[in-house]
Amino acid sequence: MIGFLSPAILLGLLALPILWWLLRAVPPAPSRYRFPGVRLLLGLKDPESIPDHTPWWLLLLRLTALAAAIIAFAEPVLNPRAKTAGEGRLLVLMDGGWASAPDWQIRLAKVDEILAGSTRPVALRLLTDPLPAEGGMDFIAPQDLRPIIKSLTPAPYAPDRDAFADWLLSNPQEPFETIWISDGIDNAGPLANALQARGALTLVTGLEPALSLLPGRIEGEQLLLPVHRVATGAAQSVPVLAIGPAPDGVEQVLWRSVADFAPGQADTLAVFDMPFELRNRIRRLALAEGASAGGVVLADSGLLRRKVALYTPRDSQEGPQLVDPLFYLKKALEPSSQVIRGTLDELLLAVPDVLILADVGALSEEETGRVLEWIEAGGTLLRFAGPRLASASRELGAHDPLLPVALRAGGRQLGGAMTWATPKRLRPFGADSPFAGLVPPDDVEVFAQVLAQPGPDLSGKVLAALEDGTPLVTSARRGQGRMVLFHVTANAEWSNLPLSGLFVDMLTRLSISARSGAAAEEELVGQNWLASRTLDGFGTLADAAPGQAVSGELLASTPRDRRTPPGYYQSFEREVAINLLDEETLPKALYGLPLDVVVEGFEAQPETPLKTLFLLLALALLMLDILASLFISGRMSRGGQLALVVLAFGLAGEAAQAQPADDSRALLAANNTVLAYVITGDSRIDEISRAGLFGLSRTLTLRTSIEPVDPLAVDIERDDISLIPFLYWPISDQQAMLSPVAVGKINTYLRNGGMIMFDTRDADLGAGSINGGVLQRLTAQLEIPPLAPIEPDHVLSRSFYLLEVFPGRWNKGRLWVEAPSNLTTIEGAPFRNLNDGVTPVVIGSNDFASAWAQDERGRPVYPVGQGARGERQRELANRFGVNLIMYVMTGNYKSDQVHVPALLERLGQ
Amino acid sequence: MSQTAQSLRANAQALAGVLPPLLADAERLAANVALGAHGRRRAGSGESFWQYRHAMPGDSMASIDWRRSAQGDALFIREREWEASQTVAFWVDPSKAMQYHSKSNAPKAERAKLLAQATASLLSRAGERVALMQSLASRPGFGQNKLHQIALALSKLGDESDYGKLPMPHGARGGHRVFFSDFMAAEADIFPALHAHAEAGNDGALVHILDPSEEAFPFDGRIIFESMGGVIDFETKRAKALRAEYHQRLQARSEQLRQWAHRAGWHYLHHSTAQAAQAALLWLFNALGSQR
Repeated sequence: MIGFLSPAILLGLLALPILWWLLRAVPPAPSRYRFPGVRLLLGLKDPESIPDHTPWWLLLLRLTALAAAIIAFAEPVLNPRAKTAGEGRLLVLMDGGWASAPDWQIRLAKVDEILAGSTRPVALRLLTDPLPAEGGMDFIAPQDLRPIIKSLTPAPYAPDRDAFADWLLSNPQEPFETIWISDGIDNAGPLANALQARGALTLVTGLEPALSLLPGRIEGEQLLLPVHRVATGAAQSVPVLAIGPAPDGVEQVLWRSVADFAPGQADTLAVFDMPFELRNRIRRLALAEGASAGGVVLADSGLLRRKVALYTPRDSQEGPQLVDPLFYLKKALEPSSQVIRGTLDELLLAVPDVLILADVGALSEEETGRVLEWIEAGGTLLRFAGPRLASASRELGAHDPLLPVALRAGGRQLGGAMTWATPKRLRPFGADSPFAGLVPPDDVEVFAQVLAQPGPDLSGKVLAALEDGTPLVTSARRGQGRMVLFHVTANAEWSNLPLSGLFVDMLTRLSISARSGAAAEEELVGQNWLASRTLDGFGTLADAAPGQAVSGELLASTPRDRRTPPGYYQSFEREVAINLLDEETLPKALYGLPLDVVVEGFEAQPETPLKTLFLLLALALLMLDILASLFISGRMSRGGQLALVVLAFGLAGEAAQAQPADDSRALLAANNTVLAYVITGDSRIDEISRAGLFGLSRTLTLRTSIEPVDPLAVDIERDDISLIPFLYWPISDQQAMLSPVAVGKINTYLRNGGMIMFDTRDADLGAGSINGGVLQRLTAQLEIPPLAPIEPDHVLSRSFYLLEVFPGRWNKGRLWVEAPSNLTTIEGAPFRNLNDGVTPVVIGSNDFASAWAQDERGRPVYPVGQGARGERQRELANRFGVNLIMYVMTGNYKSDQVHVPALLERLGQ
Repeated sequence: MSQTAQSLRANAQALAGVLPPLLADAERLAANVALGAHGRRRAGSGESFWQYRHAMPGDSMASIDWRRSAQGDALFIREREWEASQTVAFWVDPSKAMQYHSKSNAPKAERAKLLAQATASLLSRAGERVALMQSLASRPGFGQNKLHQIALALSKLGDESDYGKLPMPHGARGGHRVFFSDFMAAEADIFPALHAHAEAGNDGALVHILDPSEEAFPFDGRIIFESMGGVIDFETKRAKALRAEYHQRLQARSEQLRQWAHRAGWHYLHHSTAQAAQAALLWLFNALGSQR
């Protein structure tokens, strides 16, 4: 949309037809040419049909040029900022829930645009905020509200529209107009009606509603994750990430899957067909794009990693380990499950997914009752036969309730010196057995077993059988759980099955389908839970603010609200993951709007003056006209035309040509020592960074053997940083969030020994400084170890100079480095004893670059402090810079110096 | 773009050096007593044998041909033919029209001067007498001095007239005349003079020098054509449309000159400055030599 600041000038366009007529009538000026042959021409007559007017295309060219000039002086503006019409008070209402998070910046820009274009008293509310106090909302001048916009963040739960509607109805207010920035989901009816009762309502919507994830489930070998969308339009492919700790403990993307929506489909599944070990490490699943709290599913420990309880009878003898009935079980289960051991009481308290009783005879009646209760709640009981079970069944005779089938007294020997029978092999598994697909190896043989009492329902309980049809594995359902019996021992006494890989596969099949995944509510109710880490609206996990414990009943109820944000909750030793959404709270498309609501889109493009553009256009056209006039009057040679055209296109091409990926930068960085800074986009800050690193490079060259070349500017999104030893990153409030590619690049850089120094440049003034917040959000995506304020003994304080303070342009800010993981005391002095304790990041706020900055002649560029004290501070800042780069280059070399006396002593011997 | 006398001569001699010495036709010797280095059909100072005669008292002893005298008793004197050189007079159009040149081509006058000088150089080497009409070097002569004179005169050539008017003959009759011009002038300025020259017993050659753009007429659009002096002008609104008629007229002038030359026994050369000067020089060599 284009508007004009001086539309009156556009009347000049009316003159164009007159010009048209004039230009048509006047032929182009003749050129004069000296030519001896003119004598031969004398007396010749021009033919009748001479076109003596300007060619139409030249006419058009001139008229266009003139029109462009006229339009330019009328000062056209693209997307003119609509001065918010109307009078009286204005309420700007934002949904502010998790669904607003993916486009949060666009929403804030829209709010900013509304505030900038308004002079009326304005109130700004997020629907996720607590309800206003009795006095009503504060309507204040819009320019007072604009500064706080940037500090608004979306909440990790849905907005409570109905509560606000109720509040509006119960608290009479002066009339006001409302602009409602909506997230485009769920029922807007009651609130819209309530707002319309106060005044006009404009609803701003139109962005793609957020996608949401539901807790996943495991089917077979695959993890299936439901993905839901509100806008059921065209086909869509949504990448979903499984995130969890790598073996070194750093969280990373473990697996990547894509959920494909067919056109019109609202729900689909993202399939994670990944190795079991990897899957067990998943901590959360998140959308790769459009992050929000609804786009993250926290994997709770019980959901993905099985807890297997191994019951050890108290009277177990201390026999050789290989005969331990549990030895092979432990070996098979430990890689993929959490194995706990203990007495039955302890184990049942831990609520395992699987309880394994290997060759345990009868349990006491009370124990049997508790185990049965646990099975009915969803547990899986896995029993193995053995001499004790065999003898117990002989004693009991009757059916043990903890066995899937009744056993015949005694066992059966196959093979061996005293029998005619030969050891039996396994029959191939049936298609309906949980072991379907596994192939029994030929060398697996069974020498002894316990036998089931034949019965009508026996065949339905058999999961695996020997080749003569006698059951090897039987199972029976009980309540939500089941019981499984291996008719052989868990060690190699009765068969060599536990020695084969098949045994592991069979256990895996049994254990991964062990739990249904429901029953969260029952787990929660009755206890008080304290949030340990919670999601924010953007779906980022952070330590929870200290707060009150919430009751299990509240935690189990949906939808979530301020008191129960999604995240991890703890109660005693147990931790549960609480997710934002379940089947009932899935978002629906916005509905319930009254008909007369004005609906607006988000065209939040900034106002762009077009005057220059049009003037340039007019100028270019006039240039073209000159060429064209020369051309038609025949004054320009062909070669000249060609040259001009080539020149014109060449220039345009030059400008349009994208910068080629240049190896020269990489070569520069690889062949020299080079310090680099990150381009912020603010040319002033970039200049300070450049001058700062230039000055530091100079200082280093003068004082040390590090001789860096001129500093390099780095676009963090595009440039390769792998060859740069040190990256200075000034933080400004214009810092854009990093793309996943850049995050991956930086993480790789940090992991492989690069160092980044973040400088918030604000001397920590105020805890919630804007730059600090920006840095927090920026670094939340990065793999940064725990940080701590620098300690006096840190290598940074003595890698070249001995320093006690680390000033820059300011001297108040603190310096943060990687927290020491272990401290030892050597000869009375505390010393860091890290094998590779070089911090990957240094975070400061003293605006170091300004203090380091020098011009080409080595003179300081920016003032530091006052007088001699200021110069001293600059000197200290320079020394810190030297120390820092020394530290980058030599790592913890200086912390080895503590060993020098010992080394000398050893050398002396 | 006038050349200095030095460079003009140097260029011309470089050009002339390629050709064998030019011998002017000897056949017209009798009619052109005063002109040309050709036998005069009478005894005199010369190179080639004319007749033997008896020695007379008063003859110098040195002139006796002893070989012939030894065959008999009489003393013979070997007389040689009286040989005198022929005169070739050049005229180079001094008008402004000759200064015209299109891009990438030299002015016509320059070409004309070069050809005149080269031919003069050749002729001088062959012992002919050369002259440049309407100039300081209008007296026939030969040798380096004469060539110097001609070169100097050529380099100073040029007047304010728009088109060149051919000079009327005066002084000695007979001999060769070579006219270098674009022949753009009015017929009255050309043909009466040519007739007079032919009647005076001269023969010769017309070298019609044109610029390529004068032949092609590559113009279009609205143009006011002016003569080089600005005396004549002509406006056209679409020059392209006149091309055919211009060609026709130019062709007519060429043809007229050719016809005239044919009837008068002269030679006519149509020469474009885009062509090599060498070709024109060769042609001149042939034209002046074929009358032998």
